Amino acid sequence: MPPAFVELLQFLFSGITSGAIYALVALGFALIYNASHVINFAQGEFVMLGGMITWLLLSHGIDLPLAIAGAVAATVVVGLALEKLAIEPVRDANVVTLIIITIGAGIFLRGLTSVTLGKDLHAVPAFSGNEPLELLGATIMPQSLWILGVTAAVVLALHLFFHFTILGKAILATSHNRLAARLMGVNVNFVLLLSFGLSALLGAVAGILIAPITATHFEVGIMLGLKGFAAAILGGLGSGLGAIVGGLLLGLIESLGAGYISSDYKDAMAFVVILGVLFLMPQGLFGKRGTERV
Amino acid sequence: MSLLRVENLSIQFGGVQAIQELDFEISEGTIHSIIGPNGAGKTTLFNLITGLYRPSAGAIYLDDAQIAGKRPHDLARMGLSRTFQNLRIMMNMTAIENVMVGRHLHLNRNLLACMLRLPMITRADKAARKRCIELMDLVGLGGAIDADASALPYGALKRLEIARALASEPRLLLLDEPAAGLNARETKEIDDVIATVARAGVTVVLVEHDMKLVMGISDHILVLDHGRKLAEGTPDAVRNNPAVVAAYLGQV
Amino acid sequence: MADIRPSGYSKHRKKQTYTRRLGTRATPMQVLMSERIGGMGALIVIIAALPLLLANNYQYDVAITIGINAIVVVGLNLLIGYAGQISLGHAGFFALGAYASAILTARYGLHGALAMPLGALGVGLLAYIIARPILRLSGHYLAMATLGVGVIINIVISREAWLTGGPDGMYVPPLEVWGVELYGGPIWYWIVAAFLVLAVWISLNIIDSPVGRALRGLHGAEVAAEVAGVDTTRYKVMVFVISAVMASVAGSLAAHFSEFVTPEKASFFHSILFVTMVVFGGMASTFGAVVGAAVLTLLPQLLADFASYEHMILGLIMMAVMIFMPRGLVPTLTGLARRRGARR
Repeated sequence: MPPAFVELLQFLFSGITSGAIYALVALGFALIYNASHVINFAQGEFVMLGGMITWLLLSHGIDLPLAIAGAVAATVVVGLALEKLAIEPVRDANVVTLIIITIGAGIFLRGLTSVTLGKDLHAVPAFSGNEPLELLGATIMPQSLWILGVTAAVVLALHLFFHFTILGKAILATSHNRLAARLMGVNVNFVLLLSFGLSALLGAVAGILIAPITATHFEVGIMLGLKGFAAAILGGLGSGLGAIVGGLLLGLIESLGAGYISSDYKDAMAFVVILGVLFLMPQGLFGKRGTERV
Repeated sequence: MSLLRVENLSIQFGGVQAIQELDFEISEGTIHSIIGPNGAGKTTLFNLITGLYRPSAGAIYLDDAQIAGKRPHDLARMGLSRTFQNLRIMMNMTAIENVMVGRHLHLNRNLLACMLRLPMITRADKAARKRCIELMDLVGLGGAIDADASALPYGALKRLEIARALASEPRLLLLDEPAAGLNARETKEIDDVIATVARAGVTVVLVEHDMKLVMGISDHILVLDHGRKLAEGTPDAVRNNPAVVAAYLGQV
Repeated sequence: MADIRPSGYSKHRKKQTYTRRLGTRATPMQVLMSERIGGMGALIVIIAALPLLLANNYQYDVAITIGINAIVVVGLNLLIGYAGQISLGHAGFFALGAYASAILTARYGLHGALAMPLGALGVGLLAYIIARPILRLSGHYLAMATLGVGVIINIVISREAWLTGGPDGMYVPPLEVWGVELYGGPIWYWIVAAFLVLAVWISLNIIDSPVGRALRGLHGAEVAAEVAGVDTTRYKVMVFVISAVMASVAGSLAAHFSEFVTPEKASFFHSILFVTMVVFGGMASTFGAVVGAAVLTLLPQLLADFASYEHMILGLIMMAVMIFMPRGLVPTLTGLARRRGARR
């Protein structure tokens, strides 16, 4: 294999890996946005909690599978509590107010984590070792395969859930037209609760998957949350497919940009691209384009 | 001479022809009504004339100047003004402030002068306020000058829209269902307001479902159906047009 | 062209006397309660009296920081509260102002009094260039775009260490006037106070003018404002530039006051803090902006006693105020006072 090709392949692997994580976070944004038109700026904290709680349970000698289950369950409880205590009481408030509530929740969760679990960087072991696999001359970590596999499985599960279960269809109906859904007997509050629970689950899964690669820390959710939001916007806010494509695209752009242009500006790539896309296509790649009725 | 001339105007939304090859003229100083069943394209036509939509084909002339595709605020400068069927009230402002937004083009908008609150700004604002109060009196809102717009009932908001549209001193005023949702007495009052405005020399174009109001007040009527012109003429001519009776009045 | 004379319209007109509704209606009490006279008066009295309570340098520092933040928030409130356009990136403009002052004085030897307006000019120009494409967006898309601008500014400042000192920040020479170094709390207190009063005065003036009505109008009903002749794009760009310039000036003040700048000033968290101050104090309330800046600057200082619990409590308070007073502190409280007054 020519070295240039191997190098490209290496960038693609790492881009798709982080892209899958961004896609999971973006899906969390899209879910809550669809159910409530709220942008949940605490989404990154779900990611952080997933990783931190896994580390906590592991450090108490609990097995990895059990630790993962525990971390996911705990994060989902946090997501449900956030909806019940802070979002449901003010559901019809304006967008900025809701944004600030979720930002407040994010600050609270970060504070809580730093107080209880400390401010140190914690390592979480990879699910199946650190022996790199070789593929066409490039190397890929087993954890990356875990990330891609689990993300694919989650996306498939979500697809089945939304298209083949009554509950999933109720959520979709609510996102299209809340009033009509209510008239059809959908419990809108329950749908809202469920969407926060599901988003927390997606966030936790993303956080657990990425923790062995980047290590985990109480502030790890800030950048991941922002990039997940960028991915959701890139794909078109509220579009599930858009979130996945947006996430993968963002991961690839970042990795290729860091590799070929400037690694100093890796974190900026995502935002430069999103600005460019918004300037040219104000609705994102897959967003609905509607004519305002006057 | 015609003030507004529409030629071969068409617009489509995703394959649906909302307006098709429409031609008509509106002469200065008249009250011109546009009627037709729901979905005939009346509001779409208003949106085209006031620059909210860009036509797929055709032209719109105001005083022989082509205006299709110009932005609404440019058209306002040329003397166009309108009200909205679904109210577009600034609920974050008081009633009089809504009307004063309508006077925007007649006031000094120099940022520096406004930032420093030069005496000319306060003087002009005072005069504008006086004029807007007169307009609110005209539409019967004299008692609600400083009320929050959000506190006013529906009927008052419809009048507020008219007052705001008049504040720009338009030559051509487009009223989109001004009497919709109003009771008989309120409709009569709106009727009077329209007559007064027309007497002052403003050309009025009216979209309205209330046939009594339309027939009583209009000089000229255009009947639309499925985006096409079905008939056109004086109220009597339209009333007796068999196509109109069949397609429109017959249904009522 | 037909000239409409509203005075020619109405037959009933003569029965009404307008003078009652043209300004003489305000009682002395109402004048005192009005934003322009009462509010400005109260602000000046508080600013003048506050030094009597300030016992040490630390307390002066807090008061000055409140003033600097309040300048940013008053400008941001014009954009968010009045014109209804969100920005999650204004810390970027604040930081650009700060670094412009830092770099122009420390590296190029310019006088601080020249660096500040040059920085403001540059920031205003940048804001003008990006405002047009950005302000075509609305809602969450606008939030994302402004957030992106802020993050990019932050990253550029952190990476271009040769110019900015990188993540460690850089030293800023003190401001010098006629050979005297402006140093210490008491002097800076009055400098910042003067800028704050000016910012509040300008903000009140804009709001109560044709420009301000255009801004509030496009917030309330954009299409209707456009049809009334308001070039909505132009006004959105205008208010974006004004708020960016105010943030830049505040940034310059902060740089010279603390004699040090770090990229932290451009962080996403800092942008969020500014927006929170706007909403916390009360959207579309100039004095709400000042109160919001004061409370949210003071709060972490007061919470410092709780050490590590600081962020938890801050987050809880942010949520609680938004849940129980979604309109913000000042509008909620003045609303209460007015209702109580009416009952009496």
